[in-house]
Amino acid sequence: MLSAFGFSQEKDTVNLGYKKRVLESIEVDFLSSYYKQDGVHSSVSGGMGSENLSDFATNIVVAVPLNDDDVLSVDAGISAYTSASSSNINPFDKSKNNPSATPWQASSGASAQDVLAAMIVNYSHSSADRNLIWNADVAFSNEYDYTSIGFGGGISKLFNQKNTEISLKTNVYLDQWRPIYPKELQEFGNNNFFNGFTIYDQNGIASSNYLPSSFLSWNKNNRNSYSASFGFSQVVTQKMQFSLFFDLLQQRGALSTPYHRIYFADKANYYIGQPQFISVYETTQNTGVYHLADAIEQLPDTRFKIPFGARLNYYLSEKITLRTYYRYYWDDWGITSHTASLEIPIKISDKFTFIPTYRYYTQKESTYFAPYDKHLSTEKFYTSDYDLSSFNANQYGLGVSYTDIFTAAKISIFGLKNIDFRYNHYQRTDGLRANIVTLGVKFVQQ
Amino acid sequence: MKKIFGTLLILVLATSCETIKEYEKQYINDPEMKLSARSSERYETSFQVYREAASGANGGKTGGGCGCN
Repeated sequence: MLSAFGFSQEKDTVNLGYKKRVLESIEVDFLSSYYKQDGVHSSVSGGMGSENLSDFATNIVVAVPLNDDDVLSVDAGISAYTSASSSNINPFDKSKNNPSATPWQASSGASAQDVLAAMIVNYSHSSADRNLIWNADVAFSNEYDYTSIGFGGGISKLFNQKNTEISLKTNVYLDQWRPIYPKELQEFGNNNFFNGFTIYDQNGIASSNYLPSSFLSWNKNNRNSYSASFGFSQVVTQKMQFSLFFDLLQQRGALSTPYHRIYFADKANYYIGQPQFISVYETTQNTGVYHLADAIEQLPDTRFKIPFGARLNYYLSEKITLRTYYRYYWDDWGITSHTASLEIPIKISDKFTFIPTYRYYTQKESTYFAPYDKHLSTEKFYTSDYDLSSFNANQYGLGVSYTDIFTAAKISIFGLKNIDFRYNHYQRTDGLRANIVTLGVKFVQQ
Repeated sequence: MKKIFGTLLILVLATSCETIKEYEKQYINDPEMKLSARSSERYETSFQVYREAASGANGGKTGGGCGCN
């Protein structure tokens, strides 16, 4: 009992006679993924409509040892997506005499696709005894309507013969929106836009009373994020170790998404398109009418998040390892969640590992969330983004890893060290489903 | 308060664990025992950040840097 309240650590010995390099040679990782999802609660259409989206992403990560102690790494990548939901930022095609906009199908709008480019440069330094590591990084990303600049740093201290590690990381992101609004709100008051369109009321009768008086353009476009992350890890036995993570994140600025539509239950409904589909608007039978927005999503300009996570890994045998993870999350928008995952790498040979995985996620909705057409115009904050709703999610995965520590296969001066292939299926209880495949290849300079 | 006390207790107990010598770490140093997400998991973490409200506490990015919630 007394020993439980003391530190049973041995003094770290420092022998600088031989110093192993932190990174022996240049390592290059090529990573790619293909992601596809679908659902029925498009946030662009106010919580109703197709969430069909495809995304292809690829990254290259190069880590270069500058000397025995220092490593410079560059991570650069692009992500290209097409989205039925985003295409409905402007669902109105004036080239058609009989417009057939609907939240259930993609429109031909330019917002249907976008490309995100991102880069992170990181520098790290390790002390001679390898018990102190610090790093600094800068990050940049850009897409059509959003730019981010970030910088940060961290420090890790190992002691107790490297059985214990504590770490602290801080990051700042200074982001900026270039807001795009739903077309009918952006163009409201522009008679040239609505020429050629008939606006119908809920009963399918032509009307000139559409007035989105709650819509206001943004007067600030900045979104800043400040985070501090604490880590603690401990080797418990020869076959078990665990880590704890605790973050604090404060966000300020434009935290809403400017093209997420909102519909108020206490406001009259107006539509563009074919009025015979108004009665089936909330079903996929609606192939030709679109509900005009009353406003856009309005969320507080501050958000404070606290996630707390833990990992525990256990070496069950030469063939099987258990990797577990748990996270509790809380923020001041009323959201709490639990995440739990289990991964069981199974070594089927000295080079191949088979990796089944399972992840469970459950979330309680934000205070500001309500489904499609349920908010009231008297509310101060409102969103119908189902990513902030209550749901559970199950994720099932399968991975195969090939590792050749002797790098027998070579391309030029680089030997192939590792290939990772992963497939995951993700399903939420609100109907969103997704599949993702990932391929990672690591080369090491010979 | 209980959660803070519990965390501190875990930390104190953890540091009183048996010290494993470097030559005894053949299992701990196995690549599958690493206490971090795999590099190939990054895209899964990315779509989870977009499709779920929670983020962080996994040793990686906590938030910001994207137009996501």
